[in-house]
Amino acid sequence: MLVLIDLRMVNKIIGQEHILKDVNLSVYKGEFLSIIGPSGSGKSSLLYIVGLLDRPSSGEILIEEKTIDFSDQKRLSEVRNKKFGFVFQFHYLINELTLTENVMVPLLKAGIPIRKARERALSLLEMVGLKGKESRKPYQISGGEQQRVSIARALSNNPDLIIADEPTGNLDSKNTQIVMDMFKELNKEGKTIVMVTHEMDLANQTNRIISMRDGRVVSV
Amino acid sequence: MTHTVFITLKFILERKRQTVVSILGVSIGVAAFIVMASLMNGFQKYFIEQAIDLNAHITIKVKPEANPSKIGKKYFGDDVLLNVYGLKPPDKRDKISNYRFIISNYSKDPQFLGLAPHLVGQGIIRFSTIERSATIIGIDPNLERKASVIDKFIVNKRLNSLVTDRNSIIIGKLLAKDLGIEEHNKKVLIVFPNGVVEVFKVVDFFNSGITTLDQTRVYMNIRTYQAILGRPNEVNEIIVKLKDVNQAQKLSIAIERETGYYAESWQKAYKNFLQLFKIQNYITYMIVFAVLVVSAFGIFNIIMMIVMEKKKDIAILMAMGYERGDIVKIFTLQGLINGLVGAFLGSLVGYSIQEWLVSLNLDVEGLVRAKGFILDRSLVYYIYGVLFAFLFSLLASFYPSYRASKLNPVDIFRSG
Repeated sequence: MLVLIDLRMVNKIIGQEHILKDVNLSVYKGEFLSIIGPSGSGKSSLLYIVGLLDRPSSGEILIEEKTIDFSDQKRLSEVRNKKFGFVFQFHYLINELTLTENVMVPLLKAGIPIRKARERALSLLEMVGLKGKESRKPYQISGGEQQRVSIARALSNNPDLIIADEPTGNLDSKNTQIVMDMFKELNKEGKTIVMVTHEMDLANQTNRIISMRDGRVVSV
Repeated sequence: MTHTVFITLKFILERKRQTVVSILGVSIGVAAFIVMASLMNGFQKYFIEQAIDLNAHITIKVKPEANPSKIGKKYFGDDVLLNVYGLKPPDKRDKISNYRFIISNYSKDPQFLGLAPHLVGQGIIRFSTIERSATIIGIDPNLERKASVIDKFIVNKRLNSLVTDRNSIIIGKLLAKDLGIEEHNKKVLIVFPNGVVEVFKVVDFFNSGITTLDQTRVYMNIRTYQAILGRPNEVNEIIVKLKDVNQAQKLSIAIERETGYYAESWQKAYKNFLQLFKIQNYITYMIVFAVLVVSAFGIFNIIMMIVMEKKKDIAILMAMGYERGDIVKIFTLQGLINGLVGAFLGSLVGYSIQEWLVSLNLDVEGLVRAKGFILDRSLVYYIYGVLFAFLFSLLASFYPSYRASKLNPVDIFRSG
């Protein structure tokens, strides 16, 4: 299997705290990987580094076998925009924008003209089952729907990798299952997904589980 | 660029209250600037225009008395330290001896539109029991017309009466009021410094709008005046009208050099006022500057508040690939748009206030007299107002935007 992202001896130190200790991790193309661990185990910090949101204190990260230069902010932004889609525990939708416009935000950054971006956003919203609510504002829909909008937004630039940080942490069991089914469907279509969770039942629905404790990967 | 403009516009349109507050702040500032600048400069320009019209562009006079230190230098050279005490005014007659030559000579120069001789002196004017001191100016009405705009200020346009009736005079409107003269053809007495007392008929009034002049001036025919003073063919002042008033300073120096007489440009004559206006302008601009700074702080506060409120949005934008530069653009543009819309509105408000001020019918009495406010409604003040608003809102929104761009998205995601 092809390696999409490779972390080599990654350490993260914030102040006195050693959050990640010599982490080695390969994310393979097309897999649905879950990272589990108790809170404070460093799983979110690891995810932020995988998502190029944070820079490691030491170690190397390769994407498709190319080393990432963390001083090149422009390149990092471009990778995040075009290759990655982010879903967080909270939806992080912008309240001033309608659902459609929220989904359009990454598309516009990628340089897609407004009309095309709108068409794409509408079809994505339809895909996540929100047809008819496109012009509502984020605060006018339910929590489950909000999370689905953020998934639509994460998919907007047709990314290679979806990075999900406790995506169901705020949802009831019904909506949790809807989101998980959506991820599984996307994975089947070929998307690589890395998801952080602390619930074993959710992790069990993925292809591969790694668990973390005290900043180390303890089992793969 | 589209992505930042898109988000900025949404932020502006969806947060109406904040937008309105910051726009209002700027528009008040800009309106205040436009109105104050046009009032101030309107008054000053009016005053200067009147003054130039009245006092001639250049006045050629007999040189003021010699400087005592010059006397020593004249005899002992420049290296002498010498003071002469107890000098009397030099026994030089108060006249311009070759005035006909000067007038005809400069009349040929196209830079000079007209020259007219004056005989100026003091006198006491008396009507029944009321007495007032007056500055008596002997003029040649025909030449006077070419060298000044005197006709503009003569209420009933009877300047020619001075030619037809040698014993007629025109007196200042306020002087007439002080004396209790309300209609013309009243007979007054004038007492001259040489003791002569003559009866004159007031044929018209002189109304310039400048209080000190209207309170003291008396015009009469120069020949009458010369005869009364026993100074036939003598003049002590020549007034000059120029094609370009801004050349006055330069030409006055040339005239001084060529004729040997003292030539005073209008700038020199009104030096005190021009100085005063300068100070007045500084004060005005300082006040307006303060108003603009306050409205800039309004923008600063609002953008700062928005940035604080929008930390999460900033974090997700960055996660989705927006660069730090994009974040700066989004919030700076927001401030700029608020500033520019405010400036535009402020210009409209300023314009309406100007309209209103112009329509007011007030009696202004002081340095000048006018009906209502005199405004200088130049486009320049609008341009400056908009420009200042632009600059200030750029400065005011840049810092908060910069702060926003320095946020670390991970910190925000961690804190939920």
